[in-house]
Amino acid sequence: MTSPPPPASRVPPWRNIRFLRILGQVLAVVLAFLVLRWLAGNLTGNLDRLNMGLDFGFLSRPTQFQIPYRPSFDPRSPVTSMVLVGVLNTFLAGFFGILIALALGLVVGVSRLSANWLVAKLATVYVEFFRNIPPLVIIIFFAAALFTYGPFPNLREAILVGLPGSDSKLLILSNDQWGIPGFTGGRNWVAFAVILGVGFVLAVVVWAWRTSVNDRTGKPHHRLAWFLGVLTGIAIIGYLALGGPFSMSWPAQSENRRLIVGGFAMNWGFMSLTAALGLYTASHVGEIVRGSILAVPRGQNEASSALALSGFQRYRFVVLPQALRIAIPPIINQCLNLVKNTSLGTAVAYAEITALTQTSIGNGRPALQSIVVMMVVYLAFSLTISLLLNVVNRRLQLVTR
Amino acid sequence: MKASKLLAALTALLLVLAACTTGGEDTTTTTAAGGTETTEGGEEPTTTAAGGEETTTTAAETEEPAGESLLETVRARGSLLCGVNDVLPGFGVVNEDGTYSGFDVDLCRAVAAGVLGDSEAVEYVPLVADARFTALQSGEIDVLIRNTTWTSTRDGQEGATFLFTTFYDGQGMMVPASTGFTTLEELADANICVLSGTTTELNLTAVFGARGIAFNPQVFPDNEQLRPAYEAGQCEAWTSDASQLGAWKATIEGEGGEEQLIMEEIFSKEPLGPAVRDGDSAWAQAVEWSIMATVQAWEFGLDSTNVGSYAGDDPNILNFVGADGFDPGLGLDPEFAITIIESVGNYQEMYERNLGPIALVIEGSLNDLWTNGGLMYVPPYR
Repeated sequence: MTSPPPPASRVPPWRNIRFLRILGQVLAVVLAFLVLRWLAGNLTGNLDRLNMGLDFGFLSRPTQFQIPYRPSFDPRSPVTSMVLVGVLNTFLAGFFGILIALALGLVVGVSRLSANWLVAKLATVYVEFFRNIPPLVIIIFFAAALFTYGPFPNLREAILVGLPGSDSKLLILSNDQWGIPGFTGGRNWVAFAVILGVGFVLAVVVWAWRTSVNDRTGKPHHRLAWFLGVLTGIAIIGYLALGGPFSMSWPAQSENRRLIVGGFAMNWGFMSLTAALGLYTASHVGEIVRGSILAVPRGQNEASSALALSGFQRYRFVVLPQALRIAIPPIINQCLNLVKNTSLGTAVAYAEITALTQTSIGNGRPALQSIVVMMVVYLAFSLTISLLLNVVNRRLQLVTR
Repeated sequence: MKASKLLAALTALLLVLAACTTGGEDTTTTTAAGGTETTEGGEEPTTTAAGGEETTTTAAETEEPAGESLLETVRARGSLLCGVNDVLPGFGVVNEDGTYSGFDVDLCRAVAAGVLGDSEAVEYVPLVADARFTALQSGEIDVLIRNTTWTSTRDGQEGATFLFTTFYDGQGMMVPASTGFTTLEELADANICVLSGTTTELNLTAVFGARGIAFNPQVFPDNEQLRPAYEAGQCEAWTSDASQLGAWKATIEGEGGEEQLIMEEIFSKEPLGPAVRDGDSAWAQAVEWSIMATVQAWEFGLDSTNVGSYAGDDPNILNFVGADGFDPGLGLDPEFAITIIESVGNYQEMYERNLGPIALVIEGSLNDLWTNGGLMYVPPYR
């Protein structure tokens, strides 16, 4: 045994480790406070010198400019409406971009590990090409190649792909907008949306029930079939009961052939931005997926071969469930990057929040406050996405003893 | 324990000291121990509300509130920071060898010649339309000469002061000649190319809204992306200041593109001129009189060839060329006019050199001398 420690004597403060550490932290806090105060004073002093204020009153004043591809936007509505339109546009680009990125990324990641030489090489070329080019360049390339210098004519002479057997058009293709079929809400579509929501919740409950039946009795759960069955059943009942709350609407050209009426119209900025970002992020997601598949212990592969599982079954039941658990945090990161990269839409005249903020600053709105609003928007997006995906992450985490 | 109490007291003391010794900021002070905020160190006798000492030592080009004007700062630096356009033919372009040329660029050189005595002592700062006023506000540039329209909002909220209007312009609309459109009404629901952050956007919305015509703006950050979209037909029309449209029409047709048509209707007032930051009269006046000297020389019939050798006895002209050392107290050299006109030329020479090639004619336009029915009228130099 060691000898008892020497009696604690009074160590002078300049040699007392605990004191010095706390002093260091105190000094750091004071220093940070001083720097922030100096910056804030600088800001307010300069703003006062220029007679500019730091208030957010500009949010309630009229926007005074028209937003591209939103003919229903009234330029006299307040700036907050403009911000909401920007948020909506950013959301659309981000949502569809993430869908493309995740779906394509999964395929690319798995393909790169394929035993088929051609498939593996194609996936490698795809990843190395898209990963190493800045996203802005890819966006401008898509816009230029597909639309500005591309094969499609002007909207007034657009290519119309007809629906066989009727007068309606299936697709309208031009270098400005594309029209695709869509839905229009008839009467009661709100009620239908509510019924659909209720049906979805019910279907999730059924899913959980079938899973617990499987856990208890071991019978095959067929939970996906049950889920879809319940959802579809409720949707059909609701549709019939409400007398057709929505119907297909086909795209058509307007009288002066400058607008697409009916269906969904996608403008060229949205399409280039979403496609380019989807492909760019998919290359990153593919690499993440590949890395996480390779991180699954080798023994799992060998064990599944021993159990005579086919290649597909091995991926579907053994490898991917484990791999995707590891992959989710970096994928969350890529999703956030994609949403932030939508700010590059300014280069293709897409009116997402950054473009609208820059336009409004250039037209006399206070720069600092507008950028603060824009930052809040992006912060909200990022926090929401990471919150949602972290819920998924936590549910999928392996519980170890 | 004793150590932690000591540290808590130390922290509180340091925060109070920090709060008190960094001047009299009124909006952002928070003192941890609730100590009283006294304005120590003496407030500077400024006209602005909260100019503490730190605010003046940070940005490179902010003036000392104790009275030093940007004029002294620029002279001490020895060069003028001028915000310009680098992609607008006729007004501001970058040449292949990296030098700048254009009407606004020549005005920068005139200011440098007047204030610094050397028309080449200019650092050009190319700016996109969105960034013009933030660059001016932050001190990144000393003067903004970038085909900028004088509006009340820019004078007010944007913290700028506009000087003598150097080019009277208006907004127009350009379409490919093959379309045959001649009125704005024919552009209902059409895509119209416009630059982001310009008065053009607001005017377009206002004019079309007033006439009840719907339209769809295609908003680009600069002309380099706008022009391919226009030429590809993604927009049916291009709206901008009529002088810009003239420049682009000449460029597009000169490079073998489709023939363009600029509609007759001019639907806004666009007085283009230089701008400086608010709150510095000495600098504003130095810049303004340097620029107005070019118009005054034109009125007197002086140009780069004869300004240095005036031999008559008109007292107005003698004052103007500083013949008897006449100095009105603007802080400029008495012979500043000679320096400017000899190195850059008078207004007419600058106009014809830069804007003649893009088919802008000075005779009969709003930019002609007042004696010929135009709007170029400068105050007398006496």
